Amino acid sequence: MRDIILSIQNLNVKFSLRGKTLHAIRDVSLDVYRAESLAIVGESGSGKSVLNKNLVGLLDPNGRIDSGDILYYKKASSASRTTDESVRAESCVNLARLKKEKDWLPIRGREICMIPQDPMTSLNPLKTIGAQLYETVKLHHGMNARQTKEACLSILNDVRIDLPEKRYYQYPHELSGGMRQRIAIAIAIACRPRILICDEPTTALDVTIQAQVLTLLKEIKDKYHLTILFITHDLGVVANIAERVAVMYAGDIVEIGTVDDIFYTPAHPYTWALLSSLPQLCSRGEPLLAIKGTPPSLFKEIQGDPFALRNPNALNIDHMFMPPYYKISDTHQARSWLLDPRAPKVSMPAVIDKIKHLGGTADAV
Amino acid sequence: MFLYLVKRLLRSVITLFIILTVVFVLVRQMPISGYFPNYEKMSEAQIKNGLHEMKLDLPMHEQLFYFYKDLLTKGDLGMSRIYRNNVPVAEILAPKIPISIKLGSLSLLVALLFGLPLGVIMARNKGKFLDQLGTGYIVVIEAVPAAVYYLFIQLFGTELLGMPLINSPGTFTTSGNTAAWILPVLSMSLGNTAYYAMWIRRYVVDESRKDYVTLARMKGMSSGKILSRHVFRNAFVPMIQYIPTSFLNTVIGSIYIESLYGVPGMGGLLVDVVKRQDNAMVLGIVLLYACVGIIGLIFGDILMVTLDPRISLTKRGGNR
Repeated sequence: MRDIILSIQNLNVKFSLRGKTLHAIRDVSLDVYRAESLAIVGESGSGKSVLNKNLVGLLDPNGRIDSGDILYYKKASSASRTTDESVRAESCVNLARLKKEKDWLPIRGREICMIPQDPMTSLNPLKTIGAQLYETVKLHHGMNARQTKEACLSILNDVRIDLPEKRYYQYPHELSGGMRQRIAIAIAIACRPRILICDEPTTALDVTIQAQVLTLLKEIKDKYHLTILFITHDLGVVANIAERVAVMYAGDIVEIGTVDDIFYTPAHPYTWALLSSLPQLCSRGEPLLAIKGTPPSLFKEIQGDPFALRNPNALNIDHMFMPPYYKISDTHQARSWLLDPRAPKVSMPAVIDKIKHLGGTADAV
Repeated sequence: MFLYLVKRLLRSVITLFIILTVVFVLVRQMPISGYFPNYEKMSEAQIKNGLHEMKLDLPMHEQLFYFYKDLLTKGDLGMSRIYRNNVPVAEILAPKIPISIKLGSLSLLVALLFGLPLGVIMARNKGKFLDQLGTGYIVVIEAVPAAVYYLFIQLFGTELLGMPLINSPGTFTTSGNTAAWILPVLSMSLGNTAYYAMWIRRYVVDESRKDYVTLARMKGMSSGKILSRHVFRNAFVPMIQYIPTSFLNTVIGSIYIESLYGVPGMGGLLVDVVKRQDNAMVLGIVLLYACVGIIGLIFGDILMVTLDPRISLTKRGGNR
C-alpha cells in the first residue's frame, strides 16, 4: 500500500455562466501518492486545469465545489487512519471545505504550490529576480537578511541558473524564457512545498529548452522529495517525466495507470484515439489522424459515456449508461463498457503497437 | 541619465522658442482695432502714434528681435497695455503664480490621496457594493456639470461648516489662513479624484489577473501584501502619463472656482487677455504654461523610468 498524499473523492465542480450551469468536473476520484509524478492529460476544456485549481483554492469566482472532498495528508496517511480524532484533524485537511483566504494561506506555498504556464508573464516585470525570490524565502523561513540571500542564491544554483550573483540583480525582461521558467520553479521550490503542480510547464518553451526544464524538474523532484502533478496535453512530456498518467475527458478521468499501462496497453477508446493521433506514429505521406467530432457540451447532463458519440466502436449501452471503472491490473483502470466481460471483443488500433518500436521505451515518444 | 537630462533641457529650450515665436506671430495677426478701446473715435494720427508706442508698426522680424532681446537680456516680458495699463507683465503674474501653483498642487495631492485608495478599494471589491458606490461617485462627478457641485459645496461649506464664503482681497496668501483654502482645493480636486479612481481601478483589475499575481498567491502571500508589494506599483506606472497634464490643468486654474471663492489666481486669465489683445500678457502666460508643461512631462518621464526598469530613456530600441 503506497502512501497517499492527496485524495480527491467524488469531486463535482460547477460553474455559473450566463444563467446556465456548467458541470466542469464530473464526479472525479483520484489518489495521488507521496513523491510520485502524476501527469493529467486531456484536450482543452477537459477540466484538467480546473481540477488543479481546486487544489490551491484558485477556482474562478463563478465556480464552486458542488460536492466531494479533497483530502490532503500532511503526514503519512497511515497516521490519519487512526481513530484518534485530534491526530487525524491535524494531519489531514479537506481542501474542498476551505473557503476563506485565511484558511488557504498555510496551504499555498508551504504545502502545495503551482507554477503558472507562461514564464513570460509569471514574474513581476518591475521587480528583480532577487527581490521576488527573497520575499518568497522570507515569507516561509525566518532568517536574517544575509542568510535569506544566501538561501536564494543556493536555490538559483539548484535550478541551474548560471551566474546566480548576477541574475539576482537582473529584471525578468533581461532573461530568456527558459531562464524565467527556471526562476518560476526556483520561486516555487523556495516555498518548500510537498506537492508541486506544473500547469503545462513547457508549452510556452521551445523544444530544446523543454527538455532542459523537464530534466530540471526531475532533479528537483528527487532533491526536494516533491510530489509533482503535471497538467499537459503533450504526450511527449508525459512519457518523459510521469510515472503515472490520468487521462481526462469531459470533466472525468476515463483511464488511469502507469506510463507503461497507458502507452503500451491502453484500454479506453479515447486513449486509443489520443495515442493514434501522435504524429510520431503517422506514416510519411498519410494525413494525421484526428479524433472526429467535438467533446460534449458540459452545460447539459450527459447520458451514458461522454465519448460514445465520437467512438467508432461505441456500443448501444454507451449511449445509455455511464460505464464504471474496470480494473485491468493493480495500477491500471479504465471507464469503458468494452472492458465488461459481456462486451464484444474490440482490440486496440494496430498503430498503437508502433509505440513499442519507437526505441522500445515510452521515452522515445 | 544626467546627460539625458541636459539634452532634454536643451530640447525644451528649442520647444519654448518655437511656441513663443508661433504665438508671437499669431497674436499680431489680430485686427489693430482691438488694441484701442475707443478705436472708432480715434484719428488716423492717434492710431499711428499708438501703434508706434507699442512697436507694432515695425516689421514682424524686428518686433520679434526686440521681444527676444528684452526677454533674454533683461528677463523683461514687456508691459501690459490693457489688462492693467503700463504695469510690467512679470509684476502682474508674480503674485498670482504661487497661489495658482499652491492651489493646483494641493488639489492634485488631495486627488491622488483620495482617488488612488478609492480606486484600489473599488478594484478589490469589484462588482460588489463598494465598487458600485465608487462608480456612482465617478459617474456623478463626470456627468454633472462641475458648476452644480461647486455651488453645492460652497453652500454646504459656508452654511453648515461656517467657512468663509467669499474671501476679501488679501485672504489668499501662500502662507497661513488654511481655512480659506479648504473649499477651493476640495472643489478643484473632485474631478481628478474621480478620474484617478476610475483609472487606477481599471489598472489594478488588469494587473490582478496577470500570472505573476497567481504566482505570488501561490507563494502563500496574503492578498493585501500582494496588492502593496506587486500590484499597486505595476498599476501605477501607466497612471504616470496622466499626472503632468492634470498638473498643468490645475495650475492653469479654474475660472469658476477662483471667482467663486475670490482666489486671485490665474483662472481664465489667458482667455481674458487674448480677448483683450494684451499681447505682452498673452506671451508671458504662454511662456509660463509652456514651462509648467515641459517640466511636468520631464518629471513624468523620470518617474516612469524609476518605477519601470523596462523603460530606458537613454537606450535606443531597448528590451521588450
